[in-house]
Amino acid sequence: MWEAGFGEEASATFVAGYTSQTKGDTVGEKIVVEFDQHSKEYTEHGMQIAAEIRSKCPVTWVENYGGHWLVTALDEASAFYKRPDLFSAVKDVTDPEGPWQGIQIPNSSPFVQSGFLEMDPPNQLEYRRILNAHLSPAAVIKWEPLIREFTNACINDVIADGRADFVEEIVNIVPAILTLAMIGLPLKDWEVYCEPAHAGIYTPPESPDRPRVDQMSMDMMANLVGAIAAARESSRPGMLQALIEAEVGGQALTDTDIMFVLFLVVGGGFDTTTALTSNAWRWLAENPSERTRLAGGDSGLWDTATEEFLRFFTPAQGDARTVTQDCEVAGYEFKQYDRILISFAIPNRDPKYFEDPDTIHLDRFPNRHAAFGLGNHRCIGSNLARMQFKGIMQECLKRIPEYEIDYDGLERYETIGVINGNKTMPFTFPAGAPTGPGLEETIVKWQKILDDEAAATA
Amino acid sequence: MRVYVDEDVCQGHTLCFMTAPEVFGLRDEDGHGFVKLTDFTPAQLDDARRAQLTCPEQAIVIEE
Repeated sequence: MWEAGFGEEASATFVAGYTSQTKGDTVGEKIVVEFDQHSKEYTEHGMQIAAEIRSKCPVTWVENYGGHWLVTALDEASAFYKRPDLFSAVKDVTDPEGPWQGIQIPNSSPFVQSGFLEMDPPNQLEYRRILNAHLSPAAVIKWEPLIREFTNACINDVIADGRADFVEEIVNIVPAILTLAMIGLPLKDWEVYCEPAHAGIYTPPESPDRPRVDQMSMDMMANLVGAIAAARESSRPGMLQALIEAEVGGQALTDTDIMFVLFLVVGGGFDTTTALTSNAWRWLAENPSERTRLAGGDSGLWDTATEEFLRFFTPAQGDARTVTQDCEVAGYEFKQYDRILISFAIPNRDPKYFEDPDTIHLDRFPNRHAAFGLGNHRCIGSNLARMQFKGIMQECLKRIPEYEIDYDGLERYETIGVINGNKTMPFTFPAGAPTGPGLEETIVKWQKILDDEAAATA
Repeated sequence: MRVYVDEDVCQGHTLCFMTAPEVFGLRDEDGHGFVKLTDFTPAQLDDARRAQLTCPEQAIVIEE
């Protein structure tokens, strides 16, 4: 389904001869291409457009959004992401018109910094150390029972209907509750965070719905301000407490510092896993024999399949950087303050490293994909993401092994330039019986477990 | 023969451990990889090479 439906309209436009650009020791042309990661064309056949661009040159120039470089090959993406001294992630919220525009093109939220994702070392690494203790492979294992139990709770609420929305009724909910539990926030508040966390990503700035989405983000912020104030008075284990107790550069964090980090954790924790699981759920509906194979597969197959879904769907499609000084890297010349979009999704289809790159092979190996990013900003939640993906998918396939997507109700994100997600994904299946409590009861149960744990450590 | 993870390059993707759990461990504090062994059987060395191939950061060094 993803491979189909691209034709003449998918071809990229090349405008050669813009200015001179050095590649290796030959002086060539700075190749200008038409490309827009937020366009409908990108959503429908962006990988084919990008493959054509990559075959001309791995580093090209795009005129839109103020002009920026576009990186489409894995070697170059890797080389640039490993030089944070030359390619800065910093967003300066005190100077929204200045050169430091952060990791998104366009910079759609100039007054909100995405925590340490929009910082450079050494501060960025100090922040990471605070949260690493909560997100390392050893630390995340304790959350597996919560993931599986909440997945089953969501299924219990819908299984008798023979119809559900995979996004709205399952995979929006489980990551939201898990993230709140890990931060140390009340689980029942998941709805306050859920819609703004997703809608804030997929609603374009010019959308008529934007004011409503911005209002929800304000409500979420107000909720967080209250939670930070409350957490300064009490003590319960979790990321929020760790942030309150930590120092960066020898200084305690302000409420604003903490809020920006929590925005990052909510954004990274909610939306990416939802995107990965829903795309995989759709692919497995369209490939029933592979679904059967995976459902009966051993942990080795689940490991490679998880990496392959990450590679193919690449939930976070790519980040931007700002060039800190005139420089030459990997044979390409950049000017200070140039903006550069370094894709993860497109290098993940680089035929130099991935044989048959546009096909999903559940047992693909090796698979050195860039879906979690490369270099010092590698997704800090990657261990949790993998465990959560497997937990949700395994429980869903166990309870609902046969299903079909209702394409009439399927809505992808209006732009997938930031997150390759689905807004809704209705599906139908043979009705079954609940095997235990639903969501509401499970929230009460787990809140008590977490409260008791907090009381025991206080 | 020496096999090691370049600590300046490793970012904790954990694919080495997923590929060759006998050869690699992960640090509790950040999930970065390290080599557990000093002597390698031919099979373990093969596993280390497979892990090297799949490392997104190319942080695994094998000196023959």
